[in-house]
Amino acid sequence: MKSDFGIEGIVFNIQRYTIHDGPGIRTEVFLKGCPLRCKWCSNPESMKTGPEVGVYADRCIGVDKCGYCLSACPQSQDRVIFTADNKVTGIDREKCTNCNKCAESCPANALMTWGNKMTVTEVMKVILADREFYRKSGGGVTLSGGEVFLQWEFAFELLKECKENYLHTCVESALHVRTDILEKIYPYVDLVLTDIKHMNSTKHMEFTGVGNELILQNIKKTVEMNKPLVIRIPVVPEHNNCEENIRTTAEFIVNELHNRVNQVQLLPYRQLGTEKYSSLGIEYPMDDFKPVKRIVWEQNIIHLVKVMKSYGVPAVAGTTSKINL
Amino acid sequence: MSAVEPYDKDWGVGVSGMVDNPSPFPRINNMLKWLDGFTAGVDHERACLVTEVYQKFSGKPQIVKCAEALSHVLRNITLQIQPNELIVGGLAAQPKSAPVFPEFSITWMLDEIKNNPWKNRTHDVHIMSEETEKNILELGEYWVGKTVEDLIKSTSTDEEAKGTSAGKGVFFLDLYTTGGIGHVCANYEKLFKLGFGGLKKKVEEKLASVDRSLPEDIKKRNFYQAQLIVLDASIKYIKRYALLAQEMAAKEQDKVRKNELLQIADNCAWVSENPPRTFWEAIQLYNIATNIILLESNGHSITYGRFDQLFYPFYKNDIDNKTTTREFVQELIENFFIKIHQLNKIRDVGNTIIATGVRMGGTALDVGGVDKYGRDATNDLSYMVLDAHAHTRIPNPWMAARVHANTPPEFKIKLFNVIRIGTGEPKILNDEVYIPAAMNYGRSLEDARDYVGVGCVEPDAAGKEYGWHDAAYFNMAKVLELAINDGRCVGCAANCPRWEICGSVGKRLGAQTGSLADFKSFDEVLDAYDKQMEYWCDRLVSCINIMDISHQQLKPLPYLSLLIDDCIEKGVDVSAGGAKYNFSGPQGVGTGSVADGLATIKQLVFEDKKVTGAELLKAVNDNWEGHEPLYALVNSDKIHHYGNDDNYADELASFALSTYCKHVEKRPNARGGMFMPGVYSVSINVLCGLFQNASIEGRKSYEPISDCLGPVHTYAGSHDISGPTAIANSVSKLDLVRVGNGTILNWKFTPTCLTGETGRDNLISVIDGFFEKKGMQSQFNVVSRKTLLAAQANPEKYKGLLVRVAGYSAYFVELSKELQDDLIGRTELSFD
Repeated sequence: MKSDFGIEGIVFNIQRYTIHDGPGIRTEVFLKGCPLRCKWCSNPESMKTGPEVGVYADRCIGVDKCGYCLSACPQSQDRVIFTADNKVTGIDREKCTNCNKCAESCPANALMTWGNKMTVTEVMKVILADREFYRKSGGGVTLSGGEVFLQWEFAFELLKECKENYLHTCVESALHVRTDILEKIYPYVDLVLTDIKHMNSTKHMEFTGVGNELILQNIKKTVEMNKPLVIRIPVVPEHNNCEENIRTTAEFIVNELHNRVNQVQLLPYRQLGTEKYSSLGIEYPMDDFKPVKRIVWEQNIIHLVKVMKSYGVPAVAGTTSKINL
Repeated sequence: MSAVEPYDKDWGVGVSGMVDNPSPFPRINNMLKWLDGFTAGVDHERACLVTEVYQKFSGKPQIVKCAEALSHVLRNITLQIQPNELIVGGLAAQPKSAPVFPEFSITWMLDEIKNNPWKNRTHDVHIMSEETEKNILELGEYWVGKTVEDLIKSTSTDEEAKGTSAGKGVFFLDLYTTGGIGHVCANYEKLFKLGFGGLKKKVEEKLASVDRSLPEDIKKRNFYQAQLIVLDASIKYIKRYALLAQEMAAKEQDKVRKNELLQIADNCAWVSENPPRTFWEAIQLYNIATNIILLESNGHSITYGRFDQLFYPFYKNDIDNKTTTREFVQELIENFFIKIHQLNKIRDVGNTIIATGVRMGGTALDVGGVDKYGRDATNDLSYMVLDAHAHTRIPNPWMAARVHANTPPEFKIKLFNVIRIGTGEPKILNDEVYIPAAMNYGRSLEDARDYVGVGCVEPDAAGKEYGWHDAAYFNMAKVLELAINDGRCVGCAANCPRWEICGSVGKRLGAQTGSLADFKSFDEVLDAYDKQMEYWCDRLVSCINIMDISHQQLKPLPYLSLLIDDCIEKGVDVSAGGAKYNFSGPQGVGTGSVADGLATIKQLVFEDKKVTGAELLKAVNDNWEGHEPLYALVNSDKIHHYGNDDNYADELASFALSTYCKHVEKRPNARGGMFMPGVYSVSINVLCGLFQNASIEGRKSYEPISDCLGPVHTYAGSHDISGPTAIANSVSKLDLVRVGNGTILNWKFTPTCLTGETGRDNLISVIDGFFEKKGMQSQFNVVSRKTLLAAQANPEKYKGLLVRVAGYSAYFVELSKELQDDLIGRTELSFD
C-alpha cells in the first residue's frame, strides 16, 4: 500500500519496553495478518490482515446512557451491532465493513479497533522515542506479527529505516515465506527469532494449517546466510511435548544447522487470549484443553532442556537467559 | 551463608520481608525476633521531666530553659541496655515507645486520650499504661496555651487558616504545627573529629570572647551558656550508659556477653568526651548523639548522613590494623539498623494520615555518590550497607543510594538485586540532577556534591543546613479547581461550615479568576491557574513564616546547634538562622492531576469542541453522575494524558509544575534564607483528595489525587498505558533541577518482570536511561502476590501493571482469570 507519505502497513500493536523478544529493551511492532493458524495462538487479532473491531461487553457503559456506537454506525438500519441487556455484545461480521466509526465513538473502549494503517515515519516516531534505552541496554526493535513477511514490503522499508538510525533489529517470524524475500530483507536484520513447532510435517499441518518443509528450509537458509538465530519451541502438552519430537528437533539443529544457533528457548504453553477470541466472535481452538499444573509442566520443560543440552544444543527454559550474540 | 556477600548475590525477586532468619548472624536474627515482641507505645517520662523544668525555671531566658529541660531529661531518664546488643542508646525505656513532647503541642493529645484513645486507632495504634495516661492528663493542664502550636494558631488569621486543614485544605502545615522541625543532618564529621569534649572547648572559647556590652552578644552569651548546659548533660548521659554497662557486666554469668558489656562500657566512657578511635566507638557515639537530637527537637527525618563516607576512615583503619574483621563490622551495621528500627514518635490522628505507619520516620541514610571533588566515592561500606538491608529486611533506616555517571557497575548490580527483593528499599538519587539542583539554591559546588538526601528525598548540605524540608504540602489540583470556578470550590453550598465566610453571594474562598463556563480560549484557563496559584502561594508562604517565627520564639535548639555549621561561629541558634544554609521547603502535590485536567479542557472544550466548559463544570459538580459517557471518555486513552510520552499532556505537566515553582522559589523565609519548592506527595495525595470534590481529569469526589510525579490513576482506570520507558520520558521532560526540595517517582514492577539476569539488567538500563535524561529520583515497588490479588479484584486500577507471561510481557489485567491465578502462584524460580 502506498500513501502520499510513503508505504503503509497495518499495525495492531506497538509495545514499548518489551524485554523478552531479543536482547535488551526493545520496542516491538506487531504487523497484522498470518498464513498460519496455530491451534494455541494467543493473538487471534493478528490473523486477518485488515482492521477488525473487537467487542468487550463488560466495558460497555449502557446503550441507554451512551449509545454513541449505534448512532455512529453508517449501517445502523441493518442492525450490524448486537445489543443485549442494554450492552453492546457483538458485531455482525458478515455485514460489518470495518469502517471503525463505532470504535472511534466509543468512550469506554467496549468497541476497539485491532489494526491501524501507519506509515514508516509514524512507526519510526514511536521507535525513536526510546533510542536511549536501546543504547543503554543493547536493545532495539523487534518486528513481529502475525507474520511479519506477509507485509514484507512495509517490513523492508521499516527495517531499512531502523538501520539508517543505527538500531539493532530483530524479526520474529514463522518463516513460512518465499526464500527470495528473506534474502532481500536479511541484510537489514541483526537477529532472527523463529519457532520449530513440530518436526513431523503432518503433525505440523494438523496444528498450524501448513507443513514444515518451507519453514525448515528457511531456517537452514538463515544459518547459511550467517544470521544470528534464536529458535523457540512452544511446548504444548499433547501436541509436541513428547521427548521424541524434542530429540528429532535437536538432531535437526545439530546435523542440519551444524548447531549454529545462538539459543534455543523452550516456552511453556498458556491458555492465553481467550477473551480476544470471544471479542472477535471466533471460537477458541483449544477450548477442551485441560490446564496442567505448574509443577508438572515446569518439570517437563526442565527435563526437555536437559535432553536438548545432551546434544550440545544451547537450550534454555524461558526467555530470561542472556542471548550470546 | 557467608557474612561477606559477593556483589552479584541474588536474594530472589519479590520475596520481600517474608523470610525467617535473613541475617547470617544469629545475634541479629535473635534481636529481630526479640523486637517483634514489642508493640508501639507511649512513655511519659520525658514529658514529666521537661514539665518540672519549665515550672521551676519559668523566668529564665527561653534558650536556657530549653537547655535545662534537655539536661534534666539526659541526667534522669531511665536507661536500658538490651539483650545481645553491641550498640546502646534509646529514646524511652522500652523499644518502640514514643516519648512525649508537650512543649510543641498538647491539645490534640488531651483530646485523643479522652475521646479517641490511641489503642483504638485503625492504624498507627499505640498502647500506654494507666500511669502514663494519668501523667499526661495532669501535666497537660500546665501546657495548654503555652505550646508552639498555640502560638502559631494565635498568630494566624482566617486569611492564613482558610487554606489549611482547618479550612478547605489547599495546603497542609500539620507536621510542623504540632511537631518539631527535624529534617536535618548533623555534622558528624565534626563530632567525630572533636568529640563532645572538643566541642565544649570551642564553645567555652567563644563564650570567653563575647563582648558583654553589645546587645547582640548578650543573646550570644545566653546561647553559649545554653550549649554548655546541654554539652555537660550529654557527656553525663553517655557516662550513665557506661556505668550501666559496667553494672550489668558485673552481674552477667555468660562470659562472652560479660566481655561485650565491658567493651560497651569502655566505648561509652571513652566517647563521652573524646573523639572515637574505632568503628565500634564511632557508631556508638553516632547512635547516642543522634538520639539526643531526637530527644531535644521532636522532629522526624533526623538524617544519618552519608554512612559509607563518614565511617570509611574508621573501617579502613581497623581493618588495616587488623583490630577488627569485615564480618564484625557487618554485624555492627546490622545491629545499628535494628536500633534505628525501634525509634518511635506519636503523632496526632490527622498527621497519621500524612505519615502512616512510619514510626519515627525519615531515618535517612545514604550510600554511594561522588565526593566533594566529583569523584566516585563508592567504597566497601556502600556494599555492606546494602547487604545489611538484605540481612535485616526492616524498613529502617530509610536508605538512599546515590548514583552518578561513574557509579561502578558492580554497585548497580548489588543495588538492583536488593531492590528486586521487593521491600521498596533503597531509593535511588541521581547526583547528576541533585547537585545542580542543590547549587541552584545557592549551595557551593563542594557542599552540593556532598549533599545528603534528608527525610524522603530532600537535598541537604549535610551538617551545614537547616532546610525545613517538610514545611508543607500544597494541593495544586485544588488550585486548578478554584481557578476555573471563579475562586469557589466545586460543590460550594450552604452546608459547608465556611459558607457564611466565603460561600454566600459576593464572597469566595480564593481569587476571582473567572469561570470555565465563560473562558474564550485555553490561554485564559492557563492565566487563571497562574493567578490563582499566586494567590495561594502568597498565603502558603505567609503561614510557613508564621510557623518559623513561632518555633524560633519558643523552641530554640541549643544541642542541635552544636552540630550544625555555623551556629557556634555566629553565636546564633539553628532555629533562628544560625545555619550556613536556611531553606523552607513546601511540596507541590498533583502534577499529574493538573496536567490531565488541563489536557482534558484543552482537547474537549477548545479543540474538539465536544463539550462546553459549562457542561464540564456541571459534570464535576454532579460528581459525574448522569454524565457517564463523558466520565468514561475523560478516563480513556482518547484523551491526551501525562505519563505516555505524549508532548500534548507532558507540556501541561511542565506548566503545572513550573507555575508552582515560580510562585514559591527563592522567596525570603524567617531565617534569612529562602523558599525552595519540592514536588512529591508521600501519601498526602490521599489527604488532598479527601478535601476535594470531583475534578475534571476524571476523579470522583474524595478520591486521591495523583501521587508525586506519577501519572493519574482514578477509580475508572490508569491514565498511563505505555509502559516504563514512556513514563521515564514524560517525567524527564519536567525541569526537575528547579525543584530544589526534591521529587519522587514511584515505579511499580511485578516480580516476574525482573527475574533472571535479563530482568535485572534491563531494569538497570531503564533507570540509567531515565537518569541520563535528567530524571531525579526513583523508587520501586516490586509488586507482591497481595497486589496481584488486588489487581485481579479491581482491574481498572491496575491497567499499567506489566507482567511476564510466556515469551513476552503483558498487562496483567488483560489476562484471563486462570492465567492471573497462575501468575499469582509464581515463585522466584519462575523462568518463563
